[in-house]
Amino acid sequence: MKKRSISLTVNGTVHDLEVPVHRTLLQVLREDLDQVETKYGCGTGECGACTVLVDGEKAILGCLTLAASMDGKSITTVAGLEKDGQLHPVQEAFIEEHAIQCGYCTPGMVCKSVSILAKNPKPSEEEIRHNLEGNICRCTGYVKIVQAVQRASERI
Amino acid sequence: MSSRVLPVFDLLLPSNLEEAVGLLSQHGDQAAVMAGGTDLLVGMKVGMSPAFILSLADIQGLDYVAFDAKHGLRIGAMATLSQVVDSKVVNDKYHALWYSAFTNGTPQTRNAGTVVGNILRASPAGDCCCAALAHGGSVLLQGPAGKREVDLDEFWLDYRKTARKPDEVAVELKLKAPEHGYGSGFAALTRSYQDLAKINAAARVIMDGKVCRKVRLAMGAVAPITLRLKEAEKVLTGQEVTDQLLEQMAAAVRKEVKPIDDVRSTAEYRREVAGVLAKRVVQDAIKSVAGPCPYSCFMGA
Ligand SMILES: Cc1cc2nc3c(=O)[nH]c(=O)nc-3n(C[C@H](O)[C@H](O)[C@H](O)COP(=O)(O)OP(=O)(O)OC[C@H]3O[C@@H](n4cnc5c(N)ncnc54)[C@H](O)[C@@H]3O)c2cc1C
Ligand code: FES
Ligand code: FES
Repeated sequence: MKKRSISLTVNGTVHDLEVPVHRTLLQVLREDLDQVETKYGCGTGECGACTVLVDGEKAILGCLTLAASMDGKSITTVAGLEKDGQLHPVQEAFIEEHAIQCGYCTPGMVCKSVSILAKNPKPSEEEIRHNLEGNICRCTGYVKIVQAVQRASERI
Repeated sequence: MSSRVLPVFDLLLPSNLEEAVGLLSQHGDQAAVMAGGTDLLVGMKVGMSPAFILSLADIQGLDYVAFDAKHGLRIGAMATLSQVVDSKVVNDKYHALWYSAFTNGTPQTRNAGTVVGNILRASPAGDCCCAALAHGGSVLLQGPAGKREVDLDEFWLDYRKTARKPDEVAVELKLKAPEHGYGSGFAALTRSYQDLAKINAAARVIMDGKVCRKVRLAMGAVAPITLRLKEAEKVLTGQEVTDQLLEQMAAAVRKEVKPIDDVRSTAEYRREVAGVLAKRVVQDAIKSVAGPCPYSCFMGA
């Protein structure tokens, strides 16, 4: 097949889409659904800018996922984390710790951090660092990002 | 948006293995099998262009990591690197493989990438290739004529070339059951953690006190395929392991490897380091006989 009909839930909204099979999830999010909060960095799996969550807690790369293989799946991007106008504890902690400079890595970094805390609400610093290895930040030097995850872990 | 896009292809999504094999019988030469896609899709963004991708995503029941003391470990074609990292039994009994998964790529690539994909990719730098070869085992293939098993010692034929025929799907990786005194270790030298290895090594020992009864030593990125270092194994087999013996083994390793110069390292550097790394993994393997380093010691917890 060259195209596939899929039903994709993004941040709680169901979309019925006919996607060319060579389109990535990231392209569908950004170009077809106009949800540009998730970023394109390298396109080859190295930077983590395109990280989104599947079924609320598993971090995957939008740039290396075929949209056609996501039929029936539920995706959460950074824009889907707030609830009832209230930011997610990880988002709040990133702001409070000043873990954001240019902000390009932030959507992926926040999604990955949510997945870390979903698996282990009290990770050690080493565990946080090991689990953020797939997210590159060229601004902050990571210290404040790690502190933000630690701060969020106290609230979850 | 993106400078790196996928070329156009036709997606095949079989719902069982028989259907997959049928589709490969028709299109095998022009089709690439896809598990996690972390290698294939990157390859396609930088030049590869198969006419068909046969995705295993819709085939149920291939994502198992199963152990029994008699038959050993079976890892299904869709079991991810993350599943292996989370498996206590792999950490416990197949420590080299566990560590090769733990250090492979990034958390996100481990969530999609599979162990079997690493083996089938047949890169001489493949981390799980190296660990699996040290443990010893086989790849189970399914084709039109049924199933067959190929020993890992005969599986990689040349650079990125395996014994799999174009109409076969790899169903699982099998590793032998551990004997008494079993231990294993893995190490990789990289420019950065997530990078492809400049050189990697793995050892599996069967110890009787201080005497090494049996050993398998594997090394990657020192030849077109992951190598078994049989001369170095001979140095250790049946001997009490001393510092001096390990030096002799390292000398044998340096003779046996066939490294090349490439963008990641020079041949001369690889040859020197090969001996050092071999010693380290044998020492780690011997240490692990007493019990593996638990997850927490990698996390500093
Ligand atoms: C950022 C990044 C970092 C990486 N770091 C590492 C690293 O540190 N070490 C390392 O070894 N690798 C690394 N890789 C490569 C890759 O992630 C691994 O090799 C992974 O194990 C591949 O698994 P996969 O399921 O994604 O394979 P796929 O991309 O799906 O397939 C890989 C190859 O195997 C074939 N194949 C897969 N499954 C089957 C099957 N069941 N039957 C027949 N053929 C099959 C495919 O046709 C293809 O040729 C990295 C990749 C990225 C993007
Ligand atoms: S854009 Fe996906 S990892 Fe860089
Ligand atoms: S804040 Fe700029 S890349 Fe991380």
